[in-house]
Amino acid sequence: MNSSTASATSTAAPLARPATWQPVIELRGIEKVYQTKTIETVALNHVNLIIHKGEFVSVMGPSGCGKSTLLSIMGLLDEPTAGVVEIEGRAMQSYSDRELAALRNHKIGFVFQSYHLINDLSVLDNVELPLLYRPGVNGRQRRELAHTALDKVGLSSRTTHFPSQLSGGQRQRVAIARALAGRPELILADEPTGNLDSVMGEEIMELLLTLNREEGTTIVMVTHDEHMARRTERLIRFFDGSQVS
Amino acid sequence: MLRHLFKLIWNRKRNNLLLVSEIFFSFVVLFGVGTLLLTFAKYYLEPHGFDYEQVWRLEIRAGQNETMPRAQLDDVLRQVKALPGIQQVALTSGNVPFIFNSNTSAFSYQGRKSGQSNIYDADDHYAQVMKLHLREGRWFAKTDDGSHHRPVVISQNLREELFGNGPALGKIFTWIEPGPNPDPADEFQVTGVVDDVRMENDFGPAVPSLWKRLIPFDTTRWETANVVVRVAPGEGGELQEKIARTVAGVTRQWTTMVRVMDEDRLHKRRYTIVPVAGLALISVFLIVNVALGLFGVLWYNISQRRAEIGLRRAMGATGPDIIRQFLGEMLVVTTFGVLLGGLLAVQFPLLNAFELAPKFYLAGIGVAAVAVYCITALCAFYPSRQAAGIHPAVALREE
Repeated sequence: MNSSTASATSTAAPLARPATWQPVIELRGIEKVYQTKTIETVALNHVNLIIHKGEFVSVMGPSGCGKSTLLSIMGLLDEPTAGVVEIEGRAMQSYSDRELAALRNHKIGFVFQSYHLINDLSVLDNVELPLLYRPGVNGRQRRELAHTALDKVGLSSRTTHFPSQLSGGQRQRVAIARALAGRPELILADEPTGNLDSVMGEEIMELLLTLNREEGTTIVMVTHDEHMARRTERLIRFFDGSQVS
Repeated sequence: MLRHLFKLIWNRKRNNLLLVSEIFFSFVVLFGVGTLLLTFAKYYLEPHGFDYEQVWRLEIRAGQNETMPRAQLDDVLRQVKALPGIQQVALTSGNVPFIFNSNTSAFSYQGRKSGQSNIYDADDHYAQVMKLHLREGRWFAKTDDGSHHRPVVISQNLREELFGNGPALGKIFTWIEPGPNPDPADEFQVTGVVDDVRMENDFGPAVPSLWKRLIPFDTTRWETANVVVRVAPGEGGELQEKIARTVAGVTRQWTTMVRVMDEDRLHKRRYTIVPVAGLALISVFLIVNVALGLFGVLWYNISQRRAEIGLRRAMGATGPDIIRQFLGEMLVVTTFGVLLGGLLAVQFPLLNAFELAPKFYLAGIGVAAVAVYCITALCAFYPSRQAAGIHPAVALREE
């Protein structure tokens, strides 16, 4: 999207904060511009958003509207061009690289449309991956946490399998188990059902809903599927980089 | 993390096979060249056990169909010795130090057998010319004229082989297989023990050596007389010409060639160094190729694994964690190659190959391992840094 085609300012104001709800992450006036020599592309335009603890939020919008960029910024993988991302009461910009990595490791779990599993590692090793970067967790604890996460997604019998031996739905379950293994406060899911057929997509959606309801896990999910999005507590719509509802 | 790396490499063994084999061959080449160079360096730094400076070698030839009567030879030696600038003259055998001529055999003493030893003939003045250092006993003298057995002086290492810690002086030993009734001339009586000597080349070990007393009672069948002379410092071409003229003055048929022993040493050194330098050059070329290969493979690996790098960053890996990951993987692959190479290399000391002390092989293994690890770490470092610099959000969007 070119700057000339990007929509104007967002109309959505930050949500009112219920007294009992704690914010997990807060975005204020976020802008993201990708600049090349010849073109300036506005991916996000003045986005304000608060995600509260225990919420299940879905983000919808056409391709290229900035949904994935929003998720990258919320996941502390990318920096906004302008605006403030606040996590644990501190602006993202005030964290060092090492601190941001630690925050990603402890607070955030990622689920991707294309699973992003490492094909040369077994299911169990894939799920252990975030715990490898967590100081003070030994091998035995890693395995216990990974087994627990795999239990939750119903794949405890597949620990020694490799991703290539699993169906698409099973791979996405492994990816969810990996996101859960470190017991994060927030799961960011980028089109988790996008590569799956409707039956498997439903299976994954049920799993996410269960995690949200039973474990109280905060989930932000990007989706193209209106039906899936309507099943979440809050639906945010994006168009040309701006939050429209 | 180490376990994770080993698991990852093991599961990618097919992909890593080429890298492992490259590292294996590099290790083997470095081990071979390293062992050779270490051995050479070790010997080069050891003393020669004699003084080759200011020593010349005369090769006096009687000429075709000519004899070399004793009286004339004595006259030549006497007149050469009388020349100003000549300090001592000695007759010896053809295998003078640093030339391509050797005479070896093995000996036996009461069931103890020596290894192959160098055998030299030497007259009573030889020790003075070569400045051999006596550890025990004495050099040959007129008093040995009536000796029933052949007087010999041996080097310390031959003494240890034949007599161990026991006394050696006066002991009589024989060739390794003396036969039922050995000739007394083939029975050797020790009159002295000298320091170990390295007379073959600068890079060779101290070979056990024995000097038999040369008593040229009848020299008429000699075609060549080999003489070593010690000259005063600073003597050169002028004295060499005088020596040649002196020999020609005694008998016109005889010819003389005068060579400086230090030049023989340098000549022999070149012969030894050239093939080793060639081998070292080839191995450097090979290692550079391997390094470039590793570098290329790592670049390729990283470009293929951008999504994985993004994933690891998303999971909480820092930039330095990514560097450690790729360096670690490379070092694990290197470890597989080095272990395979080490398995092969360790056979050399176990089989006592080339009769080289195990310490040289072990040092060679150490040097090769360190060199291979350094090369792979260097090759892996830059691509790993590049990997760490990949933006996680960008990497994750790539498949």
